[in-house]
Amino acid sequence: MILTGPEIAKQVDAGRIYIDPFNPKQLSPNSYDFQLGDDIAWYEAGVLDCRRENKAIISRIPDEGLVLDPGRIYLGCTLEQIGSDWYVPIIRARSSIARLGLFIHVTADLIDIGSRSQFTLQLHAVQPVRIYRRLLIGQVTFWTPQGEIILYKGKYQGAIGPRPSLIHLDRRIDAPVLPVPIRNKQE
Amino acid sequence: MILTGSAIGQAVDRGEICLDPFDRMLLNPNSYNYRLGSILRTDMRAILDPLEEPELAEQRIPEGGITLDPKRLYLGTTLERIGSTEYVPTLIGRSSLGRLGLFLQVSADLGQLGAIHQWTLELVAVQPIHIYAGMVIGQVSFWHAYGDRLKYEGYYGTRSDAAPCEPAAVANRFRKPRGRR
Repeated sequence: MILTGPEIAKQVDAGRIYIDPFNPKQLSPNSYDFQLGDDIAWYEAGVLDCRRENKAIISRIPDEGLVLDPGRIYLGCTLEQIGSDWYVPIIRARSSIARLGLFIHVTADLIDIGSRSQFTLQLHAVQPVRIYRRLLIGQVTFWTPQGEIILYKGKYQGAIGPRPSLIHLDRRIDAPVLPVPIRNKQE
Repeated sequence: MILTGSAIGQAVDRGEICLDPFDRMLLNPNSYNYRLGSILRTDMRAILDPLEEPELAEQRIPEGGITLDPKRLYLGTTLERIGSTEYVPTLIGRSSLGRLGLFLQVSADLGQLGAIHQWTLELVAVQPIHIYAGMVIGQVSFWHAYGDRLKYEGYYGTRSDAAPCEPAAVANRFRKPRGRR
């Protein structure tokens, strides 16, 4: 089940949802609108690699805004620190932003229960688009979980500011390279 | 309701969720991490057309990995067979890959009850990116479903290869005008 806006506000009051700063004016019927934080990051290299560290440049978004290049991935963050040990957050763009062709995440809308941070936003523009600090850029919804809750203790916990990928730390869980049989049911 | 990682593990133990092969290390607080299979396919036509047969080029990802070109759509698969007759799957990427600008699907995250197979992934890279077969590349969540169940009679859920758009699956209502080939 998805929480309504008034229920999100109640759960913020009850301490079961953390949104800081919290402004009731940013509540929608079933989500909370978040703002774009002050900093933006992009990678130094043109070609990225999942098995090495991809160094990023982090910079403050200028007052006059910043035009995003469709050929690059940019990392922003939510101005608000957000999290919950009780509900699962899922983020989306606001439709106003989507109507400009700006993705705010790249197939990673699900936030682990127990994580609390300024969420890193994965910004990808279909056409060049200018962004500004404090823009109401996205929305977070909260969903009820089923089952025993084990809280997130991962590598991005507590992040402040945009946090580049740490995927190069993941090799211990990759599968060995083996020819994998494909088993179509009809064959 | 979305299943927590522990609830996913218990449902696998009860046989209500298929994640094969299954490794408890890959459970997250509210999802399970899947890995990338070793085959990629691309459609070589200059203009894609859902009503015509694809022209597929297939490659096996070499041990040293492969660089994806931003101007292409690549079809891959999950290494695992994934599905459930009890809980509805949604399949996405991971933030570690999203942060590198790699889409794992193209606005089609919803699975169907009863479709149990290696999922086709729709990979799109914002910048050139080097990826590896077997890497932990995305995550799948499971949702409580309400109501009577239909038997799965779809097409893609029976396939475990990187399955391209099937003209018969989209052509029911829309016929390509004659002479446009």
